[in-house]
Amino acid sequence: MDTFLIALLLIAAGGLQALVTFRAYLLMKILAVSTIIGGCGLGLYNAVNQIFRQVEPFVCSCEWLQIFTFSLKIDAVSAFFLIPVFAISAVAALYSFQYMGDKERSAATAANYFFYALLIISMSLVVCADNLISFALTWELMSISSFFLVIYDFHKQAVRNAGYIYFFFTQAGALFIFAGFGCIYAHTGSFSFDAIAAIPESVKLTAFILILIGCGSKAGIMPFHIWLPYAHPAAPSHISAVMSGVMIKIGIYGIVRFYLLLAPTSVLFGQLIIVLGIVSGILGVVYALGKHDIKRLLAYHSVENIGIILLGLGIGMLGVATGHKTMAAFGFAGGLLHVLNHSIFKSLLFFGAGGLLRQTGTAAIDQLGGLMKRMPFTGRSFLVGSLSISGLPPFNGFISEFLIYYGAFHGLDLQGASFILTNLTILSLALIGGLAAACFTKVVGIVFLGEARSEAAAQASETGSLIIISQLILALFCLLIGIFPEPFVRAAFLASRSIPLLADFDSMQFLPVLSNIARTAALFLILFLLIAGIRKLLYSGKEITQSGTWGCGFTQPTVRMQYTGASYADSMVDFFRPFVRVQKKYSGINTVFPGKTTYSSHVQDTSETGLTLFLVRPILYLLGKLRWMQHGNIQLYIGYIVLAIVVMLIFI
Amino acid sequence: MNISFSFASLAMLFAAFALAPLLMGVILKVKAFFAGKQGPPWLIKYHTLVKLLQKGSVYSTSTTFIFKLGPVVSFTTAVMLLLFFPFAGMAPVLSFHGDVIMLFYLLGLGRFFTVLAALDTASPFEGMGAAREVFFSSLAEAAIFVILALFFRLSGSLSFAEYFTGTHAVNLWSESAALILLVVIALFIVLLTENSRVPVDDPATHLELTMIHEVMILDHSGPDLALIEMGAFCKMLFYASFVSCLLFPFQTGTPFFNIIIFAMVMTLVYAGVGLVESITARYKMDTVPNYILTSFALVCFATILTMEFVL
Repeated sequence: MDTFLIALLLIAAGGLQALVTFRAYLLMKILAVSTIIGGCGLGLYNAVNQIFRQVEPFVCSCEWLQIFTFSLKIDAVSAFFLIPVFAISAVAALYSFQYMGDKERSAATAANYFFYALLIISMSLVVCADNLISFALTWELMSISSFFLVIYDFHKQAVRNAGYIYFFFTQAGALFIFAGFGCIYAHTGSFSFDAIAAIPESVKLTAFILILIGCGSKAGIMPFHIWLPYAHPAAPSHISAVMSGVMIKIGIYGIVRFYLLLAPTSVLFGQLIIVLGIVSGILGVVYALGKHDIKRLLAYHSVENIGIILLGLGIGMLGVATGHKTMAAFGFAGGLLHVLNHSIFKSLLFFGAGGLLRQTGTAAIDQLGGLMKRMPFTGRSFLVGSLSISGLPPFNGFISEFLIYYGAFHGLDLQGASFILTNLTILSLALIGGLAAACFTKVVGIVFLGEARSEAAAQASETGSLIIISQLILALFCLLIGIFPEPFVRAAFLASRSIPLLADFDSMQFLPVLSNIARTAALFLILFLLIAGIRKLLYSGKEITQSGTWGCGFTQPTVRMQYTGASYADSMVDFFRPFVRVQKKYSGINTVFPGKTTYSSHVQDTSETGLTLFLVRPILYLLGKLRWMQHGNIQLYIGYIVLAIVVMLIFI
Repeated sequence: MNISFSFASLAMLFAAFALAPLLMGVILKVKAFFAGKQGPPWLIKYHTLVKLLQKGSVYSTSTTFIFKLGPVVSFTTAVMLLLFFPFAGMAPVLSFHGDVIMLFYLLGLGRFFTVLAALDTASPFEGMGAAREVFFSSLAEAAIFVILALFFRLSGSLSFAEYFTGTHAVNLWSESAALILLVVIALFIVLLTENSRVPVDDPATHLELTMIHEVMILDHSGPDLALIEMGAFCKMLFYASFVSCLLFPFQTGTPFFNIIIFAMVMTLVYAGVGLVESITARYKMDTVPNYILTSFALVCFATILTMEFVL
């Protein structure tokens, strides 16, 4: 039996045993966490092996319900996506051991572990699915298991609402995917992946757009991202980490897989993806800037990073359509590597946010402050995550962004619309990078630096050791990929060989570029240490004193006078006003002896208000007219079903 | 990676490093001339550095290790820039295809830590400066990358050494001079923005509320402040050299003449900065983004022109 299946069985065993042993809370957690980590480790080993050994794709299939064939195939692309699935899930399981500390809710925790195991299995099966029906089935399994993970705190109204929104989006997205499958099935007449490339070009575009909307709503592409800022804050932090770090990438996998299967030749596909990437990337980071809740802010950063991934893939697709091999190789490799990188640093940041939430009881950025002193490990690993997500060297985010830049720059010799979009890609990447750095200086600066803005923040202490260790592991990988990028980039290049254009293209000739990056990063670190040493020498024997911060002449400062996250981001969000609506409420000072004044600001998501106004309200209005059909009479409901079947039989 | 440890390259690097503070004196002298004053001595910046290096430091009780890390990181990134820049047409110490992307991101890293160090002090004024700095520089960075894209379109180059040495050099004397003229103006605006000069920021102002860069380093003192200052001089030198290399191709064949002309052009660029500072007032904070977007619009225009007239 194959290692991959053994790994999945092990994870399944870990999840199932939790349902039996939940009365012995500690035992349940130890067993669940250790088996899931074991299974993930095995799966990870198998996936890495699959990529680097370049062995024949693993294939397995079985008949299911006599008419459907359930078949799996692990090729290089699948194996590449399996890496974050297994790696991040394992670390998140380790994190959950201390994070899920509420003994009172042992049954809910056991269910959580069960659905967690189910989510890992379904995610790994989606990326291995080898026909339409297996893909659809595992996709649904993934959606449903993640829905149950989101509503862990189901006794809270906000969490239930978030769960409903997520459930709706995931099901509506699945409908679009199935519609796309329908388009394909209508022309091929089989569920197999093999015949898809042969369907007419015009149908390809329709099918691709339908699947793009479906997968895009899972991935969080703007404007289908609305569930993310609701679901991520509602879910437990390790679940947010896995959902944001890994699950939304399965949406990206869907787009990549169906792009490969459809094998289109038109430049339209690449252009469409780039436009979506620009919108998601820039608006994602602008909305993130305007958010005051740390988990909601991170959720919008997922939208931004999905935008960056799309920019990479779009550049790759443009390269394929125009036969530009360098552009194609770097675009795809950059997009794929960013999938891995984002899974690492985003999980790291969600782990950090979870630790904050656990110790201070609040996720409101403007209520925190000065936590670097009280939570030194969380603070430092959060800093590493922030540097990585801002795409700064020598951390991992830079490597994938560099690959995308490199691909985009080399595509600048194209003409017409493709040239403009390539140029816009470079421009947006630069703008996204700058704004992401702005956003994370805000988070780190307001939350971890300065003085505590509330009692809870002033009393906080460092979190549990396993929570810290899981953060340190990820932080280490952020730095590792930044300094030794070659094996990781090699993996991304190997995965992008699945594209027919690049099958015999020697993309490894570009690895020296990466070793240059690595050397420059190392040089930077050496120089940094050298200058830090010189600084130490300069200070030897000097008088160093401590004092309060210079208040610019004001002698009685309070912590309430500090700049807040809202004020920090205000001018930047204002700049993007046509796309971002900010609601401000200010009581003003209008009497001689002013009383208490209040100010609040709220950034509205334009796509959410637009969707509510133009789609949800009209539909609700129409459906309201049909409400008389819902009368609660079960006999009549059965009658509806019979009627529906009869009508369908007529059409057949 | 091309590594050049030749005497010329190393000598240029050290000369650039040593003369960066002197060139700042040019700006002060030009400003003094317009104000009808004698101005500070030419070597004023060296005096400042020496004075700062001899002092100790006072650290705020609010700060953490980030505060001490800020100056070191920003200085290191500035030095990295100089390592990769071909001064006066000489081969830079290091270069590789794609280095510009990495270097501008390293500058971003330096800025990230400068901003964090400012927020570390818990001072509302420093927070204000930090917010302005990240906003304006993210716009300037976008303009820079459009310039880089244009250069790639024109010459297929992606490193400073390729831009300014060899056969595909981009400058005002090449075929696409009209486009480069737009780039020079745009880059000069970026120079003023990134180095906190008038009309974006006024390094000589005395009110904390109106500052950008100066307010962020209010709490730094002693050698830490010296590192920040030196880093700022290096960054200014880098941008001024960038503009200079666009203005003139330093390819006369004789290194000696190259260096002489380079020194003259550099002095002119610094004098230009002083001139702008003397004859313009600074903008209101909310109009600064429009000013930076002017540079952006100029390069975008140049880029659109390449679609029809070049290739």
